[in-house]
Amino acid sequence: MAQRQGASRHRAPDPLVPRVARLAKAGEPTLLKLVRNRRQVLIGAGAAVVATGAVGSAVAVLGGGGISAALGDSATSTRSPRDAGAFADRDASYTQSLGDSIDLGAAGLMDTAAAAAAAAAKKTPTNPNLLSRDPILHMLRRVTFGPTRVLVDAATKTGIDEWLEQQLNPGKVDDPVATKAMAAFPTASMSTAQIRRTVKDGDYQAQFELGQATIARQMWSSRQLFEVMVDFWSNHLNVTNPFDGGWDVRTSYDNDVIRKHALGKFSDMLKASARHPAMLRYLDNAASDRRSVNENYGRELLELHTVGIDGGYNEKDVRNSAYILTGRTVTDDGQFRYAADRHWVDPVKVLGFKDKNPSRSKGLDVGERYLKYLATHPSTAKNIARKLAVRFVCDAPPNGLVQRLADTYLENGTAIAPVLRVLFRSQEFWIASGMKTRRPLENFVAAARALGIAPGSDTRSGVEGLYFMTERFGNAPMAWVPPNGYPDVAAAWRSAHATLALWNAHRALIGGYERGLSYPKVEGLVGKRPGTTGPYVDSLADRLVFQKLNPGHRKALLTFLSAKDSTAVKNSSLGGKVEHLAPLLLDSIYHALR
Amino acid sequence: MTVESGPRNSDELARYGPNLPEAAIRVQAEAVAADLRAQRDQWRKGFTRRRVLAGAGAVGVASLANQVVTTRVAFGAPSTTNRTLVVVFLRGGMDGLSVVVPRGDRNYLNARGGIAVQPGALLAGDDRFGLHPGLAPLVPFWEKGMMAAVHAVASPDASRSHFQAQDCLERGAASTSVHTGFLDRVLEQLGPGTTFRAVAEGSALPRSLVGGQSKLVLQGIRDFDLRAGSGMREKTLTALKALYTGVGDHPLGGQAAETLKSISTARKIAQADYQGSAQWPGGGFSDQLKDVARLIKAKVGLRVAAVDIGGWDMHTNIGGPDGGDMRNRLNELAGALGAFATDLGSALDNTSIVTMSEFGRRVEANGNSGTDHGHGGLMLLLGGGLNGGKVHGRWPGLSAGALDQGDLAGANDYRDVMTELLGARMGVKDWKKIFPGYEAKKIGVFR
Repeated sequence: MAQRQGASRHRAPDPLVPRVARLAKAGEPTLLKLVRNRRQVLIGAGAAVVATGAVGSAVAVLGGGGISAALGDSATSTRSPRDAGAFADRDASYTQSLGDSIDLGAAGLMDTAAAAAAAAAKKTPTNPNLLSRDPILHMLRRVTFGPTRVLVDAATKTGIDEWLEQQLNPGKVDDPVATKAMAAFPTASMSTAQIRRTVKDGDYQAQFELGQATIARQMWSSRQLFEVMVDFWSNHLNVTNPFDGGWDVRTSYDNDVIRKHALGKFSDMLKASARHPAMLRYLDNAASDRRSVNENYGRELLELHTVGIDGGYNEKDVRNSAYILTGRTVTDDGQFRYAADRHWVDPVKVLGFKDKNPSRSKGLDVGERYLKYLATHPSTAKNIARKLAVRFVCDAPPNGLVQRLADTYLENGTAIAPVLRVLFRSQEFWIASGMKTRRPLENFVAAARALGIAPGSDTRSGVEGLYFMTERFGNAPMAWVPPNGYPDVAAAWRSAHATLALWNAHRALIGGYERGLSYPKVEGLVGKRPGTTGPYVDSLADRLVFQKLNPGHRKALLTFLSAKDSTAVKNSSLGGKVEHLAPLLLDSIYHALR
Repeated sequence: MTVESGPRNSDELARYGPNLPEAAIRVQAEAVAADLRAQRDQWRKGFTRRRVLAGAGAVGVASLANQVVTTRVAFGAPSTTNRTLVVVFLRGGMDGLSVVVPRGDRNYLNARGGIAVQPGALLAGDDRFGLHPGLAPLVPFWEKGMMAAVHAVASPDASRSHFQAQDCLERGAASTSVHTGFLDRVLEQLGPGTTFRAVAEGSALPRSLVGGQSKLVLQGIRDFDLRAGSGMREKTLTALKALYTGVGDHPLGGQAAETLKSISTARKIAQADYQGSAQWPGGGFSDQLKDVARLIKAKVGLRVAAVDIGGWDMHTNIGGPDGGDMRNRLNELAGALGAFATDLGSALDNTSIVTMSEFGRRVEANGNSGTDHGHGGLMLLLGGGLNGGKVHGRWPGLSAGALDQGDLAGANDYRDVMTELLGARMGVKDWKKIFPGYEAKKIGVFR
């Protein structure tokens, strides 16, 4: 172990990751040398697939081609939404069986979040687990990308209600570290026109920078709830980053659709997405024309963005949905354009929405009314309410909570912040500590935050390295390839590959493999050096996972160190072993859950 | 309604809704919901994880296939079949006409001029075609009936664009509404398996495997390891095991156990003395196939492997029988495939290797001793169950009237070949799930 001290801080990391990173950096026609074409880059990025275990399709259960065979003999044969979308991997829990009535051990709305926390604390969860039930820790695990020592102290001092209210008003939260770090990703704040002037035609530079800037913000922004919601909506209204048509417009989508409305009104966000070039290109609406209607966007708008797959629509509705959207296209310089001559006219009907749709020139207005109708549809309310509950509470949230959130959503004209306030005032939120499993990216960012990795001498290069690491475990920000966004339930992420990649990533973070960032000295993590090994392990656990370990796990770590509780600690690095010990804490279930 | 009692025919289905499509939607929605409920149940308290762990604990590493269930968490016994599909993607558009050559065809010889492969140079083949001498390492397999070819194969894409043609081929449909890769759908049909049931060799996941089924992307088996620092690896693995023991009955316990066992399996495979009589030619493609051979021989439950070899976009210097780009490429391809087949020995009977490429090349040579993007291409097949030693499929010929915009016509669809392969060798009967909206035609390449 001794040989490890000092010198090898920047030893050779995972051989692949830096190679990819360097190629990208070197401005080789980006990754073109390594991969065969731009789509391959996208696929590489989307290697999410690598990581995800499947949400198996139930269609197969029907056996014998039940449905397709049956449909085959129907003269009116149309495909079902699921068949046509053909996503066997759809994390259909987003849209299926809205609300599961499981009893978490506490339920009901209180006047304040703090009151709900206090009420839940007195009750016994039906799903006990190893995470500490401390309400501040629970809140930070859910509302942020991971607690930090500083944040725990600050939130404790501010108090639950006040702290949440601050987070719900991100514009008033100072954000010095992230703001400064953003200088490393100049295109991330550029308009489409600026990017088109800055980046070579078709080059993925801005899209990669956007992904990297996203990681930087998740790690360093003080506006953590805002970033959590940006991630939420980026998945809900997924436009894969990077994707072929996104080189110039994807950044604007992030800024002008997602970030602009992340804590605003969903109806506004939906409308903005429906006239954004990135969405229109991604789901082929830019190519849709009354003479050759492309159904892709019309379908996903219903199935994914609004009412959900069981929202009650049929194939005719999908067709009409696509008709309504014809004309929304993209100019050669990446701007939205309503091309009246491409708009399909004649009466349209989707679910309860009807319009005479009589003229080409008014087609855009019909679309705006249609989007408003969809945003305020009760099925949309439930769909979004359930997704929020899945994000913040548990994978199978109680129906009562979902309904409460859906009602709030409709009562407040699709405004998001009121829904979150009700969520935080719900005992269901507070009783559910430890019931979520961090997705790989969340796990990774939470590790970086717990460690205290900070911007450094070459933030751009350092974060770039981290970004390519997230590809390794299949969870680079916004890189999910199909339009349904990353799954948000633990069962979908069951994967040996991703688990191993994450364990290796913990070692990369602690070892500081990606140069350019400021890493804490691993021997300094423990703070004031305890005299004996048991208390040393306790201090390190408190520092990295913010709680005590159960006796069996504590013992396992002492065994790892070949030490006893009372073994004297001779130096802070435990003779070089602490760099091997610290990752184990991040690998453990105490970090894996939230 | 439960999924198990779902409709068996259209009469029964009709009861679920006002019309069949509507009924189908409802039945599917219900089935999906039931599937999800089943999954959620496992992530709840009272989860049946004991089943997973009991399964996992009981077996040694050698038969990992029996324990590590990755996709759906745990129903029933793993598949009993031990067959493996290896898909070799030849990126760039291989010139099938130079590889399996229409022997002495006037049109061919005229169109290709100086780059035509002359009849005297050809090996093996059948009454109409001969093999490029670069395929020499595969000739023994051809003669034993363990190898065959299908000519004039195309995908529904007619764009002659590398990207679009690859994309179409790998998704398995022209319609952009099909988002998953066809191999992902194959995996779905094959059902649950081990962590090693689907492996892509390379740095990125091929498009054909994109989708919800779990798979490994390996850059060599050695890549699948915990990088825990010298001397600390074993201790770290032991500690990880202990850290995920006593986690109540949380599913993450099972997940960690799976991961640890997979690491250990990969390590054993990587460290095992590699035995075999095969002469591997070396190089990236050879190394990747060697990994696949190791996985097959280690019986870790590999069902689908995807390997890529690029460099087929020969617009210039295609060369002749004795040298040039084609000869070099074929040396690498055939050398590695021959070693792979030799190495597998009797396991070759249970393996199906198939090559595909996004398109064939223009019939007429270009002005740079090469050929430009064309249409109809070639598939090579190696392994068990073949009607071997023959070139299969409709042959449209190379007369001017038979060409498709100057290219060999796509008289056969690669989906016909894959459907036959999947049905005959992998037990996948429901090919409409693999190639939605396609009616497969019989080629007869498998017995």
